Amino acid sequence: MSAQGMASPITVPRARPAWLESFVGQLLALLASFGIALLIGSLLILAYGENPIEVYRSIFDASLGSADGLGYVFAIATPLIFSALAVSVCFKGGMFNIGVEGQYLVAMIAAAVAELNLDFLPGFLLVPAVLLAAMFGGMIWAAIPAVLKVKRGAHEVVTTIMLNAIALSLVGWALNGPLKYNDAPEGAFVDLRSNVFPDKGLVGDLGSVFGVTPGAHLSWLVFLAIAAAIIVWFLIRRTRLGYEARAVGSSPGSAKAGGVSIGSTQIRLFLISGALAGLIGMQQILADRGYLPLNYVPLLGFLGIGVAFLGQNNPIGIIFAAILWGILSRGEVALQISSQVPREFIIILQGVLILTVVIIYQIARRRLAARQLQQAGMAGELGDSDAPEESAGPRGPEDTGAEALEPVEEKRI
Amino acid sequence: MTGGDGAGGSATPPLVVLEHITKRFPGVLANDEVDLELRAGEVHALIGENGAGKSTLMRVLYGMYPADGGRIVVRGQEVRISSPRDAIANGIGMVHQHFVLVDPFTVTENIILGEEGGERLDMDAAQQRVAELAESYAFRVDPGAVVEELSVGEEQRVEILKALYRGVEILILDEPTAVLTPSETTDLFGNLRKLREAGRTIVFISHKLDEVMEIADRITVLRRGRVVGETRPSETSKATLAEMMVGRPVLFRLDKPSVEIGEPVLKVEDLTGEGKLNGVSLEVRAGEILGVAGVEGNGQRELAESLIGLRTPESGTIELEGAAIGGRPVFDIRNAGVGYIPEDRHEQGLVLTMSLWENSVLGRQDDTDFSGSLGVLYIRKIKDLAARLVKLFDIRARSVDVTASTLSGGNQQKLILARELETDPKLLIAAQPTRGLDVGAIEFVWKEILDQKAAGRGVLLISAELDEIYALSDRIVTLFEGKITGEFPPDAPPEQVGIGMLGRAPQEAA
Repeated sequence: MSAQGMASPITVPRARPAWLESFVGQLLALLASFGIALLIGSLLILAYGENPIEVYRSIFDASLGSADGLGYVFAIATPLIFSALAVSVCFKGGMFNIGVEGQYLVAMIAAAVAELNLDFLPGFLLVPAVLLAAMFGGMIWAAIPAVLKVKRGAHEVVTTIMLNAIALSLVGWALNGPLKYNDAPEGAFVDLRSNVFPDKGLVGDLGSVFGVTPGAHLSWLVFLAIAAAIIVWFLIRRTRLGYEARAVGSSPGSAKAGGVSIGSTQIRLFLISGALAGLIGMQQILADRGYLPLNYVPLLGFLGIGVAFLGQNNPIGIIFAAILWGILSRGEVALQISSQVPREFIIILQGVLILTVVIIYQIARRRLAARQLQQAGMAGELGDSDAPEESAGPRGPEDTGAEALEPVEEKRI
Repeated sequence: MTGGDGAGGSATPPLVVLEHITKRFPGVLANDEVDLELRAGEVHALIGENGAGKSTLMRVLYGMYPADGGRIVVRGQEVRISSPRDAIANGIGMVHQHFVLVDPFTVTENIILGEEGGERLDMDAAQQRVAELAESYAFRVDPGAVVEELSVGEEQRVEILKALYRGVEILILDEPTAVLTPSETTDLFGNLRKLREAGRTIVFISHKLDEVMEIADRITVLRRGRVVGETRPSETSKATLAEMMVGRPVLFRLDKPSVEIGEPVLKVEDLTGEGKLNGVSLEVRAGEILGVAGVEGNGQRELAESLIGLRTPESGTIELEGAAIGGRPVFDIRNAGVGYIPEDRHEQGLVLTMSLWENSVLGRQDDTDFSGSLGVLYIRKIKDLAARLVKLFDIRARSVDVTASTLSGGNQQKLILARELETDPKLLIAAQPTRGLDVGAIEFVWKEILDQKAAGRGVLLISAELDEIYALSDRIVTLFEGKITGEFPPDAPPEQVGIGMLGRAPQEAA
């Protein structure tokens, strides 16, 4: 190149590898946010006149102190992993899928339909078919907002919220109509539900393998959840779709000018999100109940938003966030048994935790960006040194906005 | 040329003295014992390449960075400035390149924000005060206008007024003309002269030497964190300043390689769209650089974006070597052999939050070299590509893993150039390719564009800088209100081209 050597050669200092820097930084940020959340929790406990250390220990004992406790923790975490992954996939592409809730409800209907109509299949085919049906159901419900967004510009937050309401009614309609149970004993009063699924169509209890009480309903779906997280990680970091999704999410203009089809990327992300959402309800109906009840556990789709933020939208982070969520949820039981602190304390602690994680990470991210900049030696040049701060900007403020919002919603729920 | 400490010609005591200011960032000495004096009522230009430390120095003065050494004396008194608030209290204000305005607010609301004075807002009185302030320095801005409806130039005026409203005497403008059209620049310079007459001091950070020569009273040149000289426009020349900035002589005119002009590569006929393009016809031949001159906002952006496929033309045809590409998706047009240097490299060139290697493949991620049929990326190969481009284009970066946001503007542009030229496109669309770059980087970009010509490829150069058009083009056309209003040989007098830019000639014809 003819213009080389136009300034004296630059020395490239060997720095710590970026991943290590970010790993150490993440770990520190995580510990700091936990510390602060526990501290705030301690103040609340003290206000109830209890000993924080005792209370925290009882939570710890109930969740991690025994095989049963651990079983419960993982059983709680399983649907949350699917849910948070569903949220995070859309988020990577700059979209906010609030409709995970509706998608998993529709998926449960689809799964129930498959269970009751494909019962001629042997178990080893029936269960995968049911899971696929559930994923397909979630995808259909996710395709609607995706297409509306891409074709008509309708904001996905608005459309998914409305579709959630429709999905809610759809479950009621299905259980009153096409899926209405007719195998109940004559004259017995039964909650509104579908017919009981064939036994071969249920997923096996994993608890017996690890010596966990069947009451935990721990199933091998937990491994499916972890596998899903790894697949999502691979998808986002190692595939063309993930690459394009991240480009669309953080700079739609540049992605478009690079020949990426924004609409097609967004639709594909929404479909993947819907498929993941479809698996949320599976533990519930295939391992726990064995039928589709009207009194299903609701709001798992919304909890996923909180868990996704807690895991910083990182698939691996989400696994740990979901487990942490499980630990705290399991701790509720311990609180009721061993202290005067009301169980709502756990919900507060979960909310505080999301807040501290979000805030601390935001601080850490800014510091890292500033550091990178300074090491790049451009700190002085406004034109572009501003860009880093601002480039985090286009997405950044939105992130924080959304993140700041969510925990609030969480608490309301 | 006098030294940094020199008392200069004037006897008035300096208003602000920066003494031995040192600012270190990890691994970088951004300011190395810098001395600078600002006098009342002067326009003081601070020039230097990207990374020379101009903005760092001013951010230290404005309280955004703590200095690692040295002291700041304002009106004879040493002061500690540890925040922009302190700076404003000392009469120092700064206008950044990226504005910080509340879009839905009016001009007045933005200006008084934080300085409302009292619980009850008397908006009429405030508006009156703002209007008077604007009037006194000949700022053309409507105090009642909503900011989101203003042009970039007007927004900048609001930012300056915001500083003046806070009683600032020393106004630091960081590359104020980088975002302005030529006529807006003229307006700004008018305002600056008024401010100077009123005894205010202006620090003008820039690397546009023509502008510095026009507006500055004194010029301080920084290179690699040090003051390399202080001078006046009357005592120096553009060439001297450029050499001081870069540390070696800089060519302002590059030799155009003589290449045989071949067949048409790009043929545009009657391109019309979105009210911004009203029947544009032009042709770019192999080995030819066609310069599209014009005042910004006359359809340049729409033209470039229609050619690369970001916009769908309403009518007209676009042919690349005889094949119609008009209205095709970007992906197809790129694959057909079109490279694109966008006018806004942050909006359309790079994904700033992604790494260099990820950016280096943007647009080619579907290439079988870089991803498999199942869509899995070949990261090793992409990183190799990035490393090669970084080396070939002398992109200054710590590694290919750092995010694009950490690069300077010049290096970001080099990365885009490297990526776009890597595929040997038949046609290169270069929209404002040197906007915001310093002289060294401009020279680099120009050479690369000329190399494209030398290799027998076609280049469509769209630029608001007439200098650039003249330096590179084989033919010049002028674009006015979405129409080609004239075609000129590269040696046509600028006045003639200027007339075409204002659209007079063809309007008479029509």
